[in-house]
Formats: sequence, C-alpha cells, structure tokens
Amino acid sequence: MNELVHPYHCFIRPTVTHTTFCPGCGDGTVAQSILRAIDGLGMDMDDFVFVSGIGCAAWIPSPFFNADVLHTTHGRPIAFAFGIKMGLPDKKVMVVSGDGDLVAIGGNHLIQNARRNIEMTVICVNNGIYGMTGGQAAPTTPMGVKTTTTPYGTFENFFEDISGLVIAAGASFVARWTTAHPRQLTNSIKKAIQKKGFAFIEVLSQCPVQFGRKMGTGNAVQMLEDYKKRSISIKEAKKLSPEELRDRIVVGEFVDLDKPEMVEEVTRMIRRASGEVQEVVDAGRG
Amino acid sequence: MDTLRIYDELCKGVEECGICIYVCKEEVFRPSETLNQKGYRPPVIVNEDLCTQCENCMIFCPDLAVVVSEKKRKKGSK
Amino acid sequence: MDEKRVHTGRYFMMGNVACAEGALAAGCEFAAGYPITPATEIANHLAEKLPRVGGAFFQMEDEISSIAAVIGASWAGKKAMTVTSGPGISLMLENIGFAIGVETPCVIVNVQRGAPTTGMPTIGIQGDMVQAKHGSHGDYEIIALCPSSPQEMFDHTVIAFNYAERYRTPVFLLSDAFVGHMREEVVIPEAEKIETVYRNIPEPGTDPLKVKGFLDEDVAPMPIFGKGFKAHVTSSCHDEYGKRNLIDISALDKFVRRLSNKILKHKEEITLVERDYEDAEIVLVSYGGVSRAAAAAASQARKRGIPVGTLRLITVWPFPGEEIEKMARKTKQVIVLENNLGQVYPYIKAEAAHFAEVSFLPPKLVGEIQDPEDILKKIEEVSK
Repeated sequence: MNELVHPYHCFIRPTVTHTTFCPGCGDGTVAQSILRAIDGLGMDMDDFVFVSGIGCAAWIPSPFFNADVLHTTHGRPIAFAFGIKMGLPDKKVMVVSGDGDLVAIGGNHLIQNARRNIEMTVICVNNGIYGMTGGQAAPTTPMGVKTTTTPYGTFENFFEDISGLVIAAGASFVARWTTAHPRQLTNSIKKAIQKKGFAFIEVLSQCPVQFGRKMGTGNAVQMLEDYKKRSISIKEAKKLSPEELRDRIVVGEFVDLDKPEMVEEVTRMIRRASGEVQEVVDAGRG
Repeated sequence: MDTLRIYDELCKGVEECGICIYVCKEEVFRPSETLNQKGYRPPVIVNEDLCTQCENCMIFCPDLAVVVSEKKRKKGSK
Repeated sequence: MDEKRVHTGRYFMMGNVACAEGALAAGCEFAAGYPITPATEIANHLAEKLPRVGGAFFQMEDEISSIAAVIGASWAGKKAMTVTSGPGISLMLENIGFAIGVETPCVIVNVQRGAPTTGMPTIGIQGDMVQAKHGSHGDYEIIALCPSSPQEMFDHTVIAFNYAERYRTPVFLLSDAFVGHMREEVVIPEAEKIETVYRNIPEPGTDPLKVKGFLDEDVAPMPIFGKGFKAHVTSSCHDEYGKRNLIDISALDKFVRRLSNKILKHKEEITLVERDYEDAEIVLVSYGGVSRAAAAAASQARKRGIPVGTLRLITVWPFPGEEIEKMARKTKQVIVLENNLGQVYPYIKAEAAHFAEVSFLPPKLVGEIQDPEDILKKIEEVSK
C-alpha cells in the first residue's frame, strides 16, 4: 500500500506520540515551521542541538524533536546555549522558548548574547501570557488586560516590540511573524539557521485557552483571523504614522546584516594566544 | 495515491482548533460525526477532488495531523 | 596529560593561581564566571592560560549564566568549571540543582568570603559550608573538597575534576579568601604523574533508543551532544532513558533516590580525610585553612603532655559520618573548629556525641584562622 506519510513525522522522537499543546495552540504550527525549514535546507536533526527553557513554547523541541535537546531552567536557555555553541562550534544551536522565559526572567541573557552576536538561532514564541501556569500577566500582555494575577487589569506598560529590543542590542538577524504566516516564518528560520551571528525570530502565537478567553479574542481560528487582519509588512508600515500603526503587528525581516561573530572571534583569539598565528605587531612599537 | 490524509489520533478537534477547516479555501473538510480515542472530533475529507494541494491545512495544523501529497510528486517529477 | 597544560616546577604561588594551574593540569577546556572578590585571580589566570591550550574563559553577564554556560559546555563534551564566591553561589543555586538533576560533570570553586549578603569581600570565612549541601531545592548529594593551602588548591582542583567526571556531578572546591590569597610553595609534578579522568560516554553508534544515559547508581555513560545520541536532557523527573515522567508518582522516588545513591554508594572512594589521633584523648576536628591552626595547637598541646590528636576533613560532602564515628569511639573529647559560627558542627556532633564529649570553639570572624593559643586554652579547659 502506498500510504501518504507526513514528511515531518520522521523528525519526531519515536517515544513521543503527540504534541503536548492545548487544542488550537499556535506552538505546534511553530514546531512544524522549524522542521520544514530544517528539511528545506536539506539538514539533519543531528546537525542541531535544541535548547529550551520553561513554559509552553519550551515543549516545542522537548521532547518532541528527535535530536539532542537540553530542556533548561526558567529564563536561562540562551546562557546554556552559549556553552553548547562554544563547545560544539560546528553544530547549529537553536533556542526555542516563550516570551516570559526569554524576555521577562531571561531578558538579560537575550540582550547580552544579541550584543555578543554569538551564532545561534533564537525563536521567541510570543503568546502574550503565562500559559502553563494558568494565565498570568507577562511583560508582553497588553495594558489593562485582566489576568489571574491582575484581576483589575494590568497596570504596567508592556513590551510591544521585542524585536526592536534585540535589534538595539546588536543581533545580526531579526524577524517577526505570526502563526498566520507559517510559510514566511519557515523562510526566515532558514535564513536564521544559516546566519553567522545571533539570529532572532519573534513569532506571535495564539494561546486560545489562557489568552483568548481572557482577552475575549476568541478561539484559535478567531485569533489567527485577528493576526491576519492586524499584520502589516515592514515595507508598508514605513509609510504609516505611529498613530496609524497602533494595534498593528509589523511583520517581516527587520535586520539582516554582517558583523563580527563571537565564535569566530574567540577562535581567532585562541589562535593568537596559542601562538598558532603571529600577533599583529603594534605599529607604534617600532 | 491519496491526495490527503488525516491522522485522526493526532488531531485535537475541530471544535477548539478547527484551523484546517478555516484555512481551506475549497471546503475540503467537515467535522467528523465521530470522536477519536482522546475524545476530540477530527475533520473528515468530503471533497478531495476540490483539493488544490495548496498545503495550507498541513502547514497550519499544530498537531502535524494532516498531510497533503506533494504536487510535484503527483506529476511524477520527483 | 598535555605537557603544555602542566607547568611542572616549584613555585611561590598564590592559592587562587594554583587553583587555575590545577584546572589546566586536570584538562579544563571551558571556564565561565563573573568578576567577584576574592576569586578573581582564578578567572584572570584562566583567561590568560586557557587560550594557550585551545580553551577559553568567558566573562558572562552574571553568575546564573556562568553556571548555565558551564553546564552547556559540559554537555558539549568539555571539561568545564566556574569560579566565584558566596554571592555568586547564591545566584547559581538553581542551576547547580539542574546540573545535579541531569548529572553534569563540572567544577564549582567557591572562594568563600565574609558573609552574609555583601559582607566583607576580602575576609576569609567558611560561611557557605552548608549552602553547598543544601542550597538548591530538594534532596541531593554533592561532593565538596576543602583545601588548606596553595598546594592543595592545585591538588584538590585536579581531584575535583576527576570526581566530577567519574561521578557525573558538580563538585565544589570550598576554599576561602584566606587560602585563596595565601602565597606558599606549590610543587607542580610532571604531567605523567597527574591522573586525569574523562567521563564514560555510550559506545558511538549505539541506537539512541537504547542509550540508558541517566539514573544509574554506578554512573550511567553520558550521552553528550553532537554524537548522534539524540539525548533528551530534562531536569524534570525522568527515567534511565532521560524520558520525562510527571505522571507516575513512583518515578520521583526513583529519580531522587538514585541520584543521591550514586554519590553515597561511592562515598568510601570519595572520602578523603587526614587522621592523626592515635591514642589521643582529645581530637580537634576541622577542615580547610583552620586545620593548620588545629595542627599547630595539637602539636603544642602534646609538648605540654596533653594527648591531643587531629582529624581533618578534606571531603566535607558527602559527610564522612563513619570517619567521625570511628574517631569518636577512640577518644574522650572532640573539639570542632571551623571559621564560622558552627555550620558543620551539628553534623559532627550527631555522629560523635554518643561516644565522646563534643564541643565547639566559636572563632572571632576576623578573617584570620584561629589563634592556636585560643585553641590551646580550649584544650586545657576540656582536659580538666
């Protein structure tokens, strides 16, 4: 029998029978977008080490992906990934985690490693809420929203532009998409994997159970519909005023540039220090 | 070879998810009459002939529960 | 071991520098840390010397990321360490628990300083003794060594790496500002005389589904990354294959017990002590720099005709209770000496009090080890 087989099931750990996400959660769409990018590049799961933190999005690679996976403590996956990349510079290191993990508790590791421009791909799945613990306010929860820890509405300003933060910190590649853009997301992930530098992709992902219900934005389909309606490409967005951009989601690839990458710089430093290459003689010493 | 396949046991139901039905422009799916083992209601294929193999259902499905045969492969190019 | 890593010779060397030299000799390839007094000299020396042998020291954004990077590098197959002092350990504790939970070899050097809180950074106090054992949440066993001289900063760092690799666990080197900043003769032996250990890893090419990489009381081979083992490494409760299990309640008992037993089962090999209490009626029990004062006081007391001996704990964790009991059975009085307000004392007392009188001599926390004269006074007091 010539039965149709899902092309990405071969990337799933054999002991895993299904995704761990709630029905309609966008995280599964992100998972598939990653696998499609890897497959599209003709790469193998053994070319990668995946690192995740704590929260729903951390379960995208762990245990789902049939690869080396380090499921770390809350907020720290990028710091663990730093050590892995330094130890295995020839492997692709990919961090997949949520907005609470990477931007709240782990914010400084995100900033500092974007600054270092160490080669790794960081996929920040932004659902605007703490889903796993039952719908608490995140730094990405829009102001005024009632959550389980803000029953009278959040009273804090929120991160509207995580990508902007990472751009300012110095990453080589930064893109934002939503789960309504899985094809574009896959294309950006392909570029991110190949980037010599810190590559950051923010994906807005629907959480129908904790976010949709609380915000009144509805179920998975309604949330996807909302992402589609509010999204605007970076090119189009440039033509609009900040007023006109209120409540819009600017999507696209914001930054794609070449600059010194840390692993390469470290390798160069080691070559100099170990005497493998001669130190450049200071001209002033003549 | 079939154009489409639904992995019933992986599906988390059209009531709470239903993304496949939403992203299909050709109304290929409708909710099943029966539930899967986990108690979710998967979609069933009702209009396979209308399928344009755009792959939306496959690419959007958060549970990797739908597969569409590759257009090229059908033409025998691969 | 690589000759470039071992700087054989006799030196007049600072304890912290000797520690860095020990790390080089042990095969350390990756070090990460954050500047902190009084541990900085170790970081500085590693930053200079590691690149010459193909490694590197990385200054991270904080101590949390330092230990995280060390654990990551260890899973990448590298021998890795971090160096810090008490405030840094306080920040690292969650990830130290992680390293224990997923059985990650690494060395953590704590050059202890005046505490609590910011305290007095240049003052040597043995204030973090119990933190090393109980600081992270949950039940676990840890290995901790207490050097008392620059020479031992070298020797014990090598042992710490070997224990870490052999038992797949974080190993603490609990030094303090006193020993870390002390300058003394350090002899670095020839490379071939230094034993170094590297972790067991599964046979290359083993079917990933058959790799039992965790929870073996006899230490499972480590399915390090990049070798095709497709390791799933999670600090959530897991089984021998690394598979997360949060459903079966009995899984937690196995998880906790096997991790602990992995250390306890090998306690005899891990335990290092120095015994000098033959025929002694009074035994001074100490560790680290304080044991120097204990040895001086015991020697003077014997000259005065009081039969005083010493027991020095090099391995403080796992706690060598059997050694304490063995000693207590042979003596009448036990005096515990530590440079803190009595941290290991309750553990010693619990083992010894059934057989001997146990007392504690509280020191003045002034960044000096006890004056042997004060210890002599205590000896004379209990010998009456």
